[in-house]
Amino acid sequence: MFRNTVVRAQNLLKNNLQPTISRNIATSQKLASSHSTETDEQFDQRYENFFNQKDIDGWDIRRGVTDLWGHDLVPEPKILIAALKACRRVNDFALSVRILEAVKDKCGGRPDIYPWIIQELRPTLTELGISTPEELGYNQPELHTESVFNL
Amino acid sequence: MANNLLALTCKQLLKNVAAKHSVQTASMSANVAGSFTRKLIGKREIVGQGFSGEPTYIDRADFPFPAIRWKEPNADILALREKEKGDWSKLSLEEKKAIYRASFRQTFSEFQAPTGEWKYILGVGFIILSAGIWCFFFLKAFVYAPLPDTFKKENREAQLARMLDLRVNPIEGISSKWDYEKKEWKK
Repeated sequence: MFRNTVVRAQNLLKNNLQPTISRNIATSQKLASSHSTETDEQFDQRYENFFNQKDIDGWDIRRGVTDLWGHDLVPEPKILIAALKACRRVNDFALSVRILEAVKDKCGGRPDIYPWIIQELRPTLTELGISTPEELGYNQPELHTESVFNL
Repeated sequence: MANNLLALTCKQLLKNVAAKHSVQTASMSANVAGSFTRKLIGKREIVGQGFSGEPTYIDRADFPFPAIRWKEPNADILALREKEKGDWSKLSLEEKKAIYRASFRQTFSEFQAPTGEWKYILGVGFIILSAGIWCFFFLKAFVYAPLPDTFKKENREAQLARMLDLRVNPIEGISSKWDYEKKEWKK
């Protein structure tokens, strides 16, 4: 603990007094807290950029959405638009419907968010020809399938 | 210090390489006909990491995308895949549903639909509880000796009288509530 403090103080002094000397990567401490300093806008932008990659593939779309789903939030419509367009680029229709379903699930106990998101996504959905789960009749159970644990 | 850092960095690098390698080998070996993975999943396409990196299919809300598609490609599905490359608004509702069902077994509303299993669990729970109560009655009827005399009403009254005679707990307890002059409980 004390050693950390000393090393940090030393680094600070060094950086302030001799700003021209570059930090030695091998010996200096990593000056980062465990808390993210990313703002919400940067976060949204990061994911939007991720899905906007030109050479994205289905694996990466799934990875990106799963990653995003790990956060305690409902993703912004602009991220979803980028994700849906990425689905279009890799020609995976099922994936786009699945993402919409997952968004509805992600809204949890707030039924007012999902209609708003669909309203925001509507131009994109029309442009790409994606049907919402409601239009496909997937908001209600369609088929009964035996539980996998009983197969 | 530097050695430590070097070791850490090397470890991290190796870990990354290993992780990448395992995923790659899994998907590569899965492409080899006759591999064990192939034997399990047939011709199903491996499309993602899934929830554990294993090529398995499970519908889960927290990991919405299973690692493999649900159906093995057949002629119909391959034809749909070709059609999927075109304009999606030209797909009919049936085709869209067929495409979805080729990739996914159940929709969210299906795998989250209540199964009614709680009734079974509750019922079995009550059956076990009542069996326990019947066990108690059985033991009471056939196993335990009768309760000792001290449980009889007159014995317990005698016990109380003796406690009052001994002036048990005279400040705030039982004897403080007894009026010794009038021989009755204080009002």
